[in-house]
Amino acid sequence: MRILSLSNVTKTFGGLVAVGGVSCGVERGSVVGLIGPNGAGKTTVFNLITGSIKPDDGHIFFSGHSISGLKPHKVVTLGVARTFQTIRLFPKLSALENVLSGCHCRMRSGLISSVLRLPSQRLEEKLVIDRAMSELEFVGLARLWRSSSGSLPYGDQRRLEIARALATEPKLLILDEPAGGMNEQETIELRKLVFNIRDRDITVLLIEHDMSFVMHVCDQLLVMENGLLIAQGEPQDIQKDPKVIEAYLGVDDDR
Amino acid sequence: MSASNFQSSALGKLLTYLSILLFLSIPWLLSALGLESAPYWVDVLNNIGLYTMLALSLNLILGQAGMFHMGHAAFFAVGAYTTAILNLNHGWSIMATMPVAALAAGFVAAVLAGPIIHLRGDYLLIVTIGIVEIVRIALTNDIFGLTGGPSGLFGIARPSFFGFKLTKPHHFFYFIWFMVILSLILFNWLENSRFGRALKFIKEDAVAAENMGINTTFYKFLAFVVGAAWAGVAGTVFACRLRTVSPESFNFGESVVLFTIVILGGSGSQKGVLLGSFLVMGLPQILRDFQDKRFLIFGAALVVMMIFRPQGLIPPKPARFCLPEPWAERYGSKGD
Repeated sequence: MRILSLSNVTKTFGGLVAVGGVSCGVERGSVVGLIGPNGAGKTTVFNLITGSIKPDDGHIFFSGHSISGLKPHKVVTLGVARTFQTIRLFPKLSALENVLSGCHCRMRSGLISSVLRLPSQRLEEKLVIDRAMSELEFVGLARLWRSSSGSLPYGDQRRLEIARALATEPKLLILDEPAGGMNEQETIELRKLVFNIRDRDITVLLIEHDMSFVMHVCDQLLVMENGLLIAQGEPQDIQKDPKVIEAYLGVDDDR
Repeated sequence: MSASNFQSSALGKLLTYLSILLFLSIPWLLSALGLESAPYWVDVLNNIGLYTMLALSLNLILGQAGMFHMGHAAFFAVGAYTTAILNLNHGWSIMATMPVAALAAGFVAAVLAGPIIHLRGDYLLIVTIGIVEIVRIALTNDIFGLTGGPSGLFGIARPSFFGFKLTKPHHFFYFIWFMVILSLILFNWLENSRFGRALKFIKEDAVAAENMGINTTFYKFLAFVVGAAWAGVAGTVFACRLRTVSPESFNFGESVVLFTIVILGGSGSQKGVLLGSFLVMGLPQILRDFQDKRFLIFGAALVVMMIFRPQGLIPPKPARFCLPEPWAERYGSKGD
């Protein structure tokens, strides 16, 4: 069953076709990699799915809802969470507070119960800290809960961003270059983390340039070039696909 | 948590309560000393209290949500005039007008916020300056025949509680500072809630907040309306204290003063706002001996401040959390 499907999604910036009629789907429970050379339009596809930008044409469906053109916070509430290519934590706030931002959309307390400190609000505050700590522990950062996120090492910041996204209780998690800037050891740990996320019945869609990571982690690959989807399939087939090889290595002029 | 840590925090609490008690006995001490100028100084403290209330309500919008709003005097005016009109034309008691003043100011803010809430930084600043001017000019022009034109409205009743009428400055001292303490408590609770955290996330990075599922437009709107409503409450206090309201009390300068208090004290910090009010409203009174040079001294102090301590005198402290078990045992119970 497809949890996410794009049909003929198009986005142009001025004269540039960033995404030109992309149609594809993501199976529930899978780990799908979106790859392609720089400027292929991968991050634009992510921004279209999460509502940061609106498509000019086409439709995006997420578990039965049309989400094209919805505001980002609505898309998150429906169950799509993301991380950013360039880390976008709240650097001055603690790791715990960062994760609490993800918990927000699953909480209920409003203005009145907060200003009057009703028992329901105080109970919810307790439960939400418990929940945030569980997510921090899940990514292995619980002991650093009081550290300001900006002071954490790069790899930890990446994992904290994942914890924050998981706190929104997503059904689909979108990771934009999660291994970017990570060393070899951290990348191996990230691999395990992605499998653990999948085991929680969360579908994962990721952009990544580290090919060995992509080949190890993904069940399915989508390949983009110049705003178009040029191939999709299992990693070992994609590796042999002439179109993909051409996109990455270029054609031999002498042939 | 170690024992010495506990003792020092308990001592800190005791000192806080003692200083509050000492502060609240100032009017009594002044009159016990037989100072002739006692009522004057109590009045200065009343003024500081009123501006603390206003600055705390602005702090929600400017300090916590990070919206550059320089038209707060407009909502203060709506509250003050609502109380004046209801009391003079309809004979309402002062305290009964207070919730209506809050609603009226909140309503005006809600109507105005719609088209401007998405504006950023300096753009919002300019629009809010426009708002305060529009309100002042509308009041001067006797809008709806209710506001009494340039001379305003006078003869507003004094507030009374259970038959006790507030007349002397030290009566108002306790009324105003009760309202200040109430503001401090309510805004502190609000800050450490889902709502307050949402504002903090928006201030830090609105794009990230929106992508974490926070309806940024809604929360900015709500902060604007709640801050305005509390300024309306301060308007009621203002109207019954001076017994007169006129457009010139709510000019652009007042908005700037409030803006200065929040930025100077420390955006988003209650202690900072409190200190800011004492400095901005109290210092010119203490510097009276320097006559017309006092505002020069004051202005120079502000310039120096902003160069060497742009985050304000007392910037906000990181939020504290108490971990529930089993986390506390594993990772430590308290954190700053």
